[in-house]
Amino acid sequence: MQIRKKMLGAAAIGVSAVLAVSACSPPQDGSSGDAESSVTWIVNQPGGGWNHNAPEGGSVYVIQMLHDILPVTGFWNPEGQWEWNTDLIANTPELIEGDQVSWEYQINPDANWSDGEPIDADDFVWQWKMNSGDGELCSDGCNSRGSTLESLIESVEGSEDGKTVTVTLKEDAQFPGWFTFGVDGLYPAHVAAAEGMDLDTPEGMRESSDFFNANPVTVSGGPYIYEGTPALDGRVVKVANEEYYGEAPGIQEIILEVNTEEGSWVPALTNGEVQGSSPATWSDDVITQLEGQENVDFGIASGGSWEHVDLNVQSDLLSDTALRQGIFTAIDTANIATRTYGEKFPEIEPRTNHVFSTTSEFHEDVLTPTGQGTGDAEAALELLEEAGYELNGDSLESDGEAVPALRLRYTAGHVAREIIAELIQADLAEIGITAEIETTDDLGGTLAEADYDLMIYGWSTTPDFYGSPHQYWHSESGSNFGGYENDEVDELVDAALNSSSPEESAEAANEAATLVAEDAYVLPIVDTPAYFFYDTSFIEGVSDNHAQSRRALWDQTEWAAVE
Amino acid sequence: MLVYTARRLAVAIPVLLAASVLVFLMVDLSGDPLAELRLQQPPPSPEAIADAEARYYLDRSIPERYWLWMTGIGGNGDIGLLQGQFGPSVRGVAFDIGTQLSSSIYVTIRLVTAAVIAALGLAVLSGVVSAMRQYSKLDYTLTFIGFLALAMPTFWLGALIKEGGLWFNQTTGTGFFYTIGANSARVSNMTGWEYFLDSAGHLVLPTITLMLTSFASWSRYQRTSMLEVLNSDYVRLARAKGVPNRVVVRRHALRTALIPLVTVATIGIVAIIEGVVITETIFQWRGLGYFFIEAVKAQDAFAIMSWLMLSGTLVVIANLVADILYGVLDPRIRYE
Repeated sequence: MQIRKKMLGAAAIGVSAVLAVSACSPPQDGSSGDAESSVTWIVNQPGGGWNHNAPEGGSVYVIQMLHDILPVTGFWNPEGQWEWNTDLIANTPELIEGDQVSWEYQINPDANWSDGEPIDADDFVWQWKMNSGDGELCSDGCNSRGSTLESLIESVEGSEDGKTVTVTLKEDAQFPGWFTFGVDGLYPAHVAAAEGMDLDTPEGMRESSDFFNANPVTVSGGPYIYEGTPALDGRVVKVANEEYYGEAPGIQEIILEVNTEEGSWVPALTNGEVQGSSPATWSDDVITQLEGQENVDFGIASGGSWEHVDLNVQSDLLSDTALRQGIFTAIDTANIATRTYGEKFPEIEPRTNHVFSTTSEFHEDVLTPTGQGTGDAEAALELLEEAGYELNGDSLESDGEAVPALRLRYTAGHVAREIIAELIQADLAEIGITAEIETTDDLGGTLAEADYDLMIYGWSTTPDFYGSPHQYWHSESGSNFGGYENDEVDELVDAALNSSSPEESAEAANEAATLVAEDAYVLPIVDTPAYFFYDTSFIEGVSDNHAQSRRALWDQTEWAAVE
Repeated sequence: MLVYTARRLAVAIPVLLAASVLVFLMVDLSGDPLAELRLQQPPPSPEAIADAEARYYLDRSIPERYWLWMTGIGGNGDIGLLQGQFGPSVRGVAFDIGTQLSSSIYVTIRLVTAAVIAALGLAVLSGVVSAMRQYSKLDYTLTFIGFLALAMPTFWLGALIKEGGLWFNQTTGTGFFYTIGANSARVSNMTGWEYFLDSAGHLVLPTITLMLTSFASWSRYQRTSMLEVLNSDYVRLARAKGVPNRVVVRRHALRTALIPLVTVATIGIVAIIEGVVITETIFQWRGLGYFFIEAVKAQDAFAIMSWLMLSGTLVVIANLVADILYGVLDPRIRYE
């Protein structure tokens, strides 16, 4: 008994010692610095990889984590206008007249990576090869998520010690968004070379792509630099880069904290543990909590994605254009917009163009002339009766037989889409069509197999719209899930992709959208709003930017600590 | 005893295997983990999708994937439980399941240790007091508190405790309690004492949440067990022989009454480790519960499987330890 007591005592002391040591020894992660002007910002999902060109890294979260670490050629301002990064690019690049389309960058001679190596043509070449999709430049597609622009480039050449970079497109190629080359950030090619990778070989390039995906960059070409070891699923600490060649940021340290539990955000904000966020997901609950807070500023605006309902035109029933037009006319998009997001964002409006939101300079209302989205059941029935349908009691009939029930699907657990589905179901009941609501746990699979009659889902909105119409509607696009085919639209979306200027591209995109609206293939419903918030007792100068993935972090160098 | 232990462990292996097959099937059939990738804009090239499918072994059949995950034979060297590899995570190359799992265990153990120690202490105290003062106002009060804690959903209890911590901070202007994470971001600049305070400030609220949920059931066990012992013949005999009440309770009654709690608590600790999901989510502790939830959200089959095997092994071991402890504490029980 006595021995057992001693053993228990020793065990207790041991456990206590371990606990005490683990509790009292701060882990050394190599970080240091002044916490006085430090801001902790919530990122609402983890990232998957450090290479933003790769599929795992191509998320808004990773782009936010890499922001102001990787040098960029330019950016979209909140109005959706392109601005060059004048810290890095000394000239205003313009298209050069010649047999092939080309342009030139003059890199700031003082622009260096934080280890003293120059930011030069090699970094631009790496970006091109990474996304070229050419197996001779990088093996197996380089694990790139794909880029139309880079695939059209024939060469990227450096001169004058690599500080002048000339980009030339392939023969007969043109691209309206040529200026967006390097918009998400350039990687330090010299770091990969120093790791022993031969970037002149496809294998070496591929190795470097995987290397930059698995490891955070250790150097910086922007106003901030990582401190310690940043974690894609945890915490990323950025401190001011003392070697930066531009103006120093106002906030010394920005900590990005991955926090997936939105219920914890406002209490943490109130408690001073975090200072703000611009989450990628909408939440009525969080906004309700924010409304009651002092020293908190928050804003809501139409965000970076839009909801729509697609019809599966491959089904026998929905191959009838008149039926599709009747369905879309019966759906009341204004009511849907109000009922989904209107409580917290009364300014919300229905979307009236597939490619451009109302704030875009290229926006044209392609829906109103068709009467679609008005929720006008009488007009819908008129259209249908003209096409031979007849409302018999509560049921729409064709040739004396009731129109079969349609399968209306959306992603399980998506609150807004659930509301949209229920409202569409009610609207369609007005014209005698039964919509049976079904959810899916596998949106990608359901779309790919076209396992639906009507599908509610979202696409992202970006000022870099040039490839979107092609992706949505081209008869050979893998994302044209409903199987829409229209030769004229194919030509127009090709033109949108292969034009020389954004204006020309927008004109073709709008023409295509008009035809798609007339054919009643996709009904735009609403731009999903997005919100941001921050603690005004800590920081000032924060503004949201819905034109880019970085959101409110876009001008973090302009933030200032409140005195 | 050794034979008994070996036999129990041998029986556990097929149970774990059967559970792993079942869960693997359920996870694998629940959806496409690359669904988000396929919907990216601009759409990833077919090469990129094929690359991802090959990297995560999604181009193999379900039985092949299970075999690979278990043995690693035919894999790329990053998979095979028997080789100490947990497999690639569909959340990306930067996410290493083994590393994440081990750091999650540390975080959860830290939280659970504090909560279990506090819960056991409170449970024993309240159970004994309730039994000694059976049907008194104190007994009724402690019983009410126990049932209240038992009935309260953890997510609500956690939210209430968090609000309480915020109220304390705002009222006192101290900022002692933290509502998210296991530590602040700037720990490397802290002295040992500052780090201790920071850790304690982060630990208190989730510990109270976890403690209350465990304390409630354990205190009921302790009360019942104590009552049974206090009414037994040998305690009556001790009292009849004039042994002081304090000695009767501490030496004769409590030690015997603790036996059921020890075994219940041994299994209960594992249940807490596995059931810490809600508390870790509310307070954003990156422990095993958080690991599991995030793995499920990402349909990360290999991560879920790794978590399952770990928790399954813990349950088997805890049951075994509970049985062995029972034999050690109660000399009447012997294992053949």
